[in-house]
Amino acid sequence: MAKQYKSLHPIKYFRDYLAHDIRPDGRELTKYRPVIINANSVSTAEGSAIAKVGKTTVICGIKAELCQPKTETPTQGFLIPNLELPPLCSSKFKPGPPSDQAQVATKVIADIIENSGCINLQDLCISTEKLAWCLYADLVCLDHDGSIIDACLLALFTALKTVSLPKVEYNAELDSKNLQMDERTPFKLYNVPVSTTFAILDETVLMIDPTAEEENLCTGVVTIVIKDDELCSVLKPGGSPITEEKLVDCIKQSMERAKLLGKLIDTATQETNDEIDK
Amino acid sequence: MEMDSNTDCSMPISNFGNLTRPDGSTIYSQGKSTVIAGVYGPIDVKPQKMLIDRGSVETFFRPKSGLPGVGDRLYETIIRNICETALVSTLYPRSGIQVVIQEMQSGGELISCSVNAACLALLDSGIDMKFLIAAATCCLDQEGYLIVDPTELQQEKAKATFVFVFESSEGRIVASHTTGTFKLEQYEQALDLCKKGSAKIFEYYRKVINGKYNKK
Repeated sequence: MAKQYKSLHPIKYFRDYLAHDIRPDGRELTKYRPVIINANSVSTAEGSAIAKVGKTTVICGIKAELCQPKTETPTQGFLIPNLELPPLCSSKFKPGPPSDQAQVATKVIADIIENSGCINLQDLCISTEKLAWCLYADLVCLDHDGSIIDACLLALFTALKTVSLPKVEYNAELDSKNLQMDERTPFKLYNVPVSTTFAILDETVLMIDPTAEEENLCTGVVTIVIKDDELCSVLKPGGSPITEEKLVDCIKQSMERAKLLGKLIDTATQETNDEIDK
Repeated sequence: MEMDSNTDCSMPISNFGNLTRPDGSTIYSQGKSTVIAGVYGPIDVKPQKMLIDRGSVETFFRPKSGLPGVGDRLYETIIRNICETALVSTLYPRSGIQVVIQEMQSGGELISCSVNAACLALLDSGIDMKFLIAAATCCLDQEGYLIVDPTELQQEKAKATFVFVFESSEGRIVASHTTGTFKLEQYEQALDLCKKGSAKIFEYYRKVINGKYNKK
């Protein structure tokens, strides 16, 4: 009976649960889903990771290529994130050029990388004006079940932590490069930003870490990105208005969760590094 | 363009009805940024975008040169979501409302300028709204001081910038967009400052709408 009720009156079904301060998947409003991170999952990439937030799955692979720096920024390399939302991950997406949602999410991720100062692009420069690394961070969503930015950031930063770049001997006069694949230096990350998403229903109910179903029924989302003990983005792209107190409450909750996620990323990368050392 | 002799230059300037085809249009200038906004609606909508229970809102943000890029998509999404919240879209089922924003000059706080222009254009078009919306920008400089209505140069040098959008009925936050890193206290201070800034914008809306109808 519950199934029919759900498909006929999805919103009412949802509200009936919320009236008892519980969500359809059995979580309380302030409970987040389990997070699983696996580092170095793709052996052909310079760095990679899979992150699962509940059922949401994102895989990230980082490829490094040699390129010439831009003339405006002769001492900087590049880090280019790209999120793909293929039709496989949800019925909302169709094949073809990147959807608006994918473009917006990609831009949000690129902004977070820039805002947090987690990488120094000058570290990627090999020879001024001549040679630099270009890191392509390709994120593919395999299963879209809400809080996609959270999962993307976890996968991206775990992958970046596992990146090691081969040593390049570059002779500027002859324009000759010599790659030493055995001599790799790990890539330096200055901090690890992590995000938490909230869904808003009826301008009053706030749910941490919403599923896709909850995101669809709700009238707005807030994504808060925390780095160390500072904020690096509070993104509320429209949707239901909320009061200041609620927003500050969200920020406090995400600060709590950020500590846990930071530790989780550390543990995941530590384990893989230990395995490599063996 | 209307401008009182006693208004300071930080007050916005706007003019209605410069375009004849849209249902509502405005040229809006705030600080050193100027945009032109046009609203069409309710109009026909493509079948795949049609919603049976409410109108679908579409937003286009055109930069002053070249084609819209990935960054403009983010602006579009933010402005669309804001308009969707502000409109009573359930009154226009199976139809569409189109908000087009053309950037004319960019001199900092472009998002704020676009949101405010969109709100004025919606007001001009006469589409039903739940509340008005006003955006304000402020930025945090390297010394930790907050600057309201920053110029483009101040924004570039800033440690962080904050854009907030408020609604007029209870002053709640509709949207928030930030760049750079900052502390929670700084965020709360910025929020407070922008709220005061938005109050001025609401006052300005009242003034121009009054002016518009009293003239005729």
